[in-house]
Amino acid sequence: MILLLAPVLRAQTNSIPGGPAIITSAVGYFDENSRTATYIGNVRVDDPEMKLRCEWLVATMPPSGGRINHIVCETNVVIDTLQNGQTNHITSDKAVYDYAVQAGVTNETITFTGSPRIEDAQAITTGDPIVWNRTSGEITEYNENTIFKQGFGSMASPTNRPPKPQ
Amino acid sequence: MRYIESDESLSLKLKTQNFCLWLVGAVALLAAGSRAQSGFSGNTTDFTSVEYYPAPEEAQVKLQLSGAEANPLPGGLLVIKQFKLQLFNTNGETQAIVSAPQCTYDTVRGLAYSPGPLFLQNGDGKIHVQGTGFTWRQADSFLVVSNQRTVIENGMVAPAGGKTGKL
Repeated sequence: MILLLAPVLRAQTNSIPGGPAIITSAVGYFDENSRTATYIGNVRVDDPEMKLRCEWLVATMPPSGGRINHIVCETNVVIDTLQNGQTNHITSDKAVYDYAVQAGVTNETITFTGSPRIEDAQAITTGDPIVWNRTSGEITEYNENTIFKQGFGSMASPTNRPPKPQ
Repeated sequence: MRYIESDESLSLKLKTQNFCLWLVGAVALLAAGSRAQSGFSGNTTDFTSVEYYPAPEEAQVKLQLSGAEANPLPGGLLVIKQFKLQLFNTNGETQAIVSAPQCTYDTVRGLAYSPGPLFLQNGDGKIHVQGTGFTWRQADSFLVVSNQRTVIENGMVAPAGGKTGKL
């Protein structure tokens, strides 16, 4: 438990510095053998990058040590992010964060499943799954449906949304 | 508060060793009369107990458990005041420090538990965990903390690298 926490969290100190992240929950389980920290019950994560709410969160680190490479959030997942001056509100049944470095290339993604929905000032987008590549900033929506809040006439207006991949 | 039973696979030898460690430590302190003082109730004060890594790191301390006072109860229980647990890696670096104003240590099952507060920090102090109510299972270092609050000083994940896009 504690040995898990120590290298996991030591790895975090090597990440890009920011404000503290605060995780609260009804119960926390810290298991050294499986190298996991499990938070259950009214889980709240207040991080400089986002505010997250869910009922169940598991963070895992690799056996060799290093940073957290896998986070699973389940049940009533709500994430609010502020990026590029824009607030985004995301809901889904499940969100999975993965981090990996292969051949010097960092791949960091969050995959939303279970009726995911992203809402910002311009539009509401649904799809299943929705994959957010945090390294590149690209969003990939499968089975996408987008509703623009300002109506059809504003579709030509520039937004922060990336062009859909061809 | 639910108490977790120790793992069935925990060997009798390990249980016996842990219990003996406690017993030997308490008796040694009483006999030396240096750091320990024994009251009429058989209480022990200012005690320390250590566990070492198995071979080949048998000279390296794995954990150090200490308390300001230990009051024995029937069934191999110890009520420890100012409970402190330090965990070390094989290099001798501090992995984590756990403390609690009071807890009950079950020497037979290798459990430490309390309905009261717990404080935990990692080796470099960048991570803190607080809670009210905990159970620690010595056999596999499994900790359950109720009403917990974890603070990670530098955030949970790094800032997103992408500058374009909806998010």
